[in-house]
Amino acid sequence: MTCDDVRPQLTAYLDGELEGDRGSAVRGHLRGCEACRTTANDEAALRDGLRALPTLDAPSGMWAKIQTQLANAEIADSEQPRWRRVLARWSPQHWVTPRLALASGAVAVIFCAWAWRAARRDHDLVPRSALVLPQLPQVPVPAPTPTLTTGDVATEIAALPKATSDSYAAAAAELEQLATQARTSWSALQQKQFDAKVAELQHDITTSGEGRPRQRAYRVLIRYLERATTRDEVAFADTRGTP
Amino acid sequence: MEMLYHQFKRRVFGMAHRIVGPNDAEEVAQEVFVRVFRGLAAFRGDSALSTWIYRLTVNASLSHLARRGRRQEVGDETLADVPAAPEVSRDPGLAARIERALAALPPGYRSILVLHDIEGLSHEECATILDCRVGTCKSQLHKARGRMRELLGPIGGTSQ
Repeated sequence: MTCDDVRPQLTAYLDGELEGDRGSAVRGHLRGCEACRTTANDEAALRDGLRALPTLDAPSGMWAKIQTQLANAEIADSEQPRWRRVLARWSPQHWVTPRLALASGAVAVIFCAWAWRAARRDHDLVPRSALVLPQLPQVPVPAPTPTLTTGDVATEIAALPKATSDSYAAAAAELEQLATQARTSWSALQQKQFDAKVAELQHDITTSGEGRPRQRAYRVLIRYLERATTRDEVAFADTRGTP
Repeated sequence: MEMLYHQFKRRVFGMAHRIVGPNDAEEVAQEVFVRVFRGLAAFRGDSALSTWIYRLTVNASLSHLARRGRRQEVGDETLADVPAAPEVSRDPGLAARIERALAALPPGYRSILVLHDIEGLSHEECATILDCRVGTCKSQLHKARGRMRELLGPIGGTSQ
């Protein structure tokens, strides 16, 4: 322990505030260090000297003077306007006590906590689905539809009957093919009737006008071919019982 | 009221005397007692009555010194640097030397020495009166004694 360590602790040591090892260490240093011992002796003498200073008595007339001052102060109070007395009663030194400040702080904290909870409750009322969007599967974005002009639309509408007739023709051709496969089981008369009927209906198609009439003619042919392939009796009405 | 006055008059006057000096001590002591009696109804009992009265005394003394300092344009450091009064040589007694050194100290150091060493209050009471922490109080006392030793020179005590 050095002198620099001991000097700051001398006051506490001399006042008996250092206990155990700390007190013993300072005492040990003082035994070996004359400079610190002199300082400690001086401080102890000073402390004893301060303690031994005589008690000073108050002047004998002081009580009377105090009474006079108190009386004067009361007279001054009575002469004060009422609003000043009220103001004095409400001055901060009267009502801002530590307890009041503490209570105000507690009320503020409680209010903030309540407001926070209320805000949280309102937040919870909103469905979570509205807050978190579901993860949707990745959908390929369709290619943008080309913008149609009025002329394009008119052309498409005009092309519609022909397209319908074409799809009818395709269906009829498919059915005709099926009928060709089925005709091997027919009699010669039935085959002859079938060929005549198909020729007649195809003639109707070629002679009918573009659009609805031709579509109607196609629908007749298709119905006939369906009956023929399923050996419906209607298709061979005149050869019933002789398939 | 008078009983309270007689109970505390010596200590209040003694503290004021040693902090502000003999000339203004009575004025400060009167001011303290007027404050005590007028504020007694509002005393909340947060601390002991004696602590409250000593606190009023120290505050009134320091305020008085501040007012007087402003009037006389004399700062603490100037007070501390005032050379020892010529009476020192005529009064070889330690008590008188100590009183003079005490008067030359800055008011803060003077207050802690008066409260702790002269009036014998504990560090806790001193801390309450001076409105500081106990550690600060101890540190101030150490510095105040050091400054007193500087002002007094060797005292030649034989305490060890």
